[in-house]
Amino acid sequence: MAMAGTSLCHWAPLSLSVFRRRSYLRRRSLLSVSSQLSTDTATIGKDFEGRVGFLGMGIMGSPMALNLIKAGCDVTVWNRTKSKCNHLINLGARFEPTPAQVASSCDVTFAMLADPDSAVAVATGENGAVQGLGSGKGYVDVSTVDGATSKLICESVKKTGASFLEAPVSGSKKPAEDGQLIFLTAGDETLYERVASLLDIMGKSRFYLGDVGNGAAMKLVVNMIMGSMMASFSEGLLLAEKVGLDPNVLVEVVSQGAISSPMYSLKGPAMVKATYPTAFPLKHQQKDLRLALGLAESVSQPIPIAAAANELYKVAKSQGLSDHDFSAVIEALKAKLQN
Amino acid sequence: MEVGFLGLGIMGKAMASRLLKHGFRVTVWNRTRSKCQELVEQGASIGETPALVVKKCKYTIAMLSDPAAALSVVFEKDGVLEQISEGKGYIDMSTVDAETSSKISEAVLKKGGSFVEAPVSGSKKQAEDGQLIILSAGDKALYEVMVPVFDVLGKKSFFLGEVGKGARLKLVVNMIMGSMMNALSEGLCLADRSGLSLQTLLDVLDLGGCANPMFKLKGPAMIESKYPPAFPLKHQQKDMRLALSLGDEHAVSMPIAAASNEAFKKARSHELGDLDFSAVYEVVKGTASGHAA
Repeated sequence: MAMAGTSLCHWAPLSLSVFRRRSYLRRRSLLSVSSQLSTDTATIGKDFEGRVGFLGMGIMGSPMALNLIKAGCDVTVWNRTKSKCNHLINLGARFEPTPAQVASSCDVTFAMLADPDSAVAVATGENGAVQGLGSGKGYVDVSTVDGATSKLICESVKKTGASFLEAPVSGSKKPAEDGQLIFLTAGDETLYERVASLLDIMGKSRFYLGDVGNGAAMKLVVNMIMGSMMASFSEGLLLAEKVGLDPNVLVEVVSQGAISSPMYSLKGPAMVKATYPTAFPLKHQQKDLRLALGLAESVSQPIPIAAAANELYKVAKSQGLSDHDFSAVIEALKAKLQN
Repeated sequence: MEVGFLGLGIMGKAMASRLLKHGFRVTVWNRTRSKCQELVEQGASIGETPALVVKKCKYTIAMLSDPAAALSVVFEKDGVLEQISEGKGYIDMSTVDAETSSKISEAVLKKGGSFVEAPVSGSKKQAEDGQLIILSAGDKALYEVMVPVFDVLGKKSFFLGEVGKGARLKLVVNMIMGSMMNALSEGLCLADRSGLSLQTLLDVLDLGGCANPMFKLKGPAMIESKYPPAFPLKHQQKDMRLALSLGDEHAVSMPIAAASNEAFKKARSHELGDLDFSAVYEVVKGTASGHAA
């Protein structure tokens, strides 16, 4: 329920309790004097008015919700483990004990869950979001899932009269913290327009890709390429080391040439030291490869490199590296016998 | 400074030309003599054989396509060895395996000459723009002499130690590159078959952590099924094969590289060897048989 003239999301990075109820520096006027903030968006989103729900305070959900709060949005959070919400509640976020209650008290609810099973459970399970959704409300699922799961959630949401947008993101922990995510959306275009300004707070660019399933597919393709690239880079680092080269020199040479990528430059040095601080958990990368293989099978597309990469991530999982950064896949290549 | 230059293919021609433009005196040789003409018009002299180039020049650079060519230019009749001697330096910038490089190095040193291997990372455009990455190893003193040449040819040069290190590092880099090209090809195919816009995929990749110059440069041509040769597929497959061989020697696990090599081999069997290595996309698409060079 939006209150006219209040609860506007704006850019002033000031104390929430003082400015939440004032229509302070309107974002549009701020943008008219400053350079365009989101260079890849065709239009600047109209300011969002109303309450925003956020389900899932994990590695990604927590900084995303935090950015919304910092921007002056009225945010209500939920997490399966309540304690993970505390730091946000301390900054002024509301809390509801179930996804249903978040959805019913908010105009638009975002969900950031780890995998298809949790995305479905949070949306349609016991006390799930659909029990609080209804006409005029929106549900934006930013989890990374397969197309079928997304369509299932979409149907359940639409049955309540609410609208649905799938919006998985490209980018991990740091881009989430820095508001630099890339949204790959599909589904209800009106809802997309409605939440565009929120996406612009959390991200640096957004794409609208059409029918539900297209966002999910695009995300899986991107992460498939990423997973294969990391596996290949791991092979290179290990081979360099085994033939008497300094892997740090390989990292530097790669960073100077045609195959230089932020991912390699950022993670290479840590990988050489066999440390894998978690920005993107390995288990999620493997999940994405598994889903990409499923997508490929559904369209009869052979993807042998991705299949080989998936095997490596599975080995790494069996080595107990699920919660390490996905760069830990290099360990799967090292000669180690299981105890 | 005067240098000899053996091999005027895609890379050699651009590199020799750049040296001429930057005031070096260059004496060139190429197996097919007609390819020298353009360089002569830019001020180069011609050497009738590799031996005669080495006779004339204190320092000679070679840029050949593969181990066989690199060896032949050195060991065969009228080859480099006939004239290499004390005070002369031989710099082989071809991409070969470490054994080939060591063989050449040993033979050159036996004759009193000095040797540096200096394979490059980068292809046609980087050669033209002097943006190569030079991975040298071997004789440190000769490397120091060549630094002014390397500074014109490339944006950065590394000295890595004893002969073999440059060759191996180059193979590792190209192995990663070949696998990345396969990953991109698989992504484009999957996106296409799922009804997604390929240009949008390229745009999304370019915004994120996976963004790299190779995808950015080659992606647009690939989605038009165009593969103008900057780095011929047959050479990429040669490099993958050599990298796998290196891995074999040391029992290093390389399943991604092995799968990538299969795709390049298949591309060669479909006569795509002379196209740019991005033509492996045709194999992944399943349209290779209709796309011979």
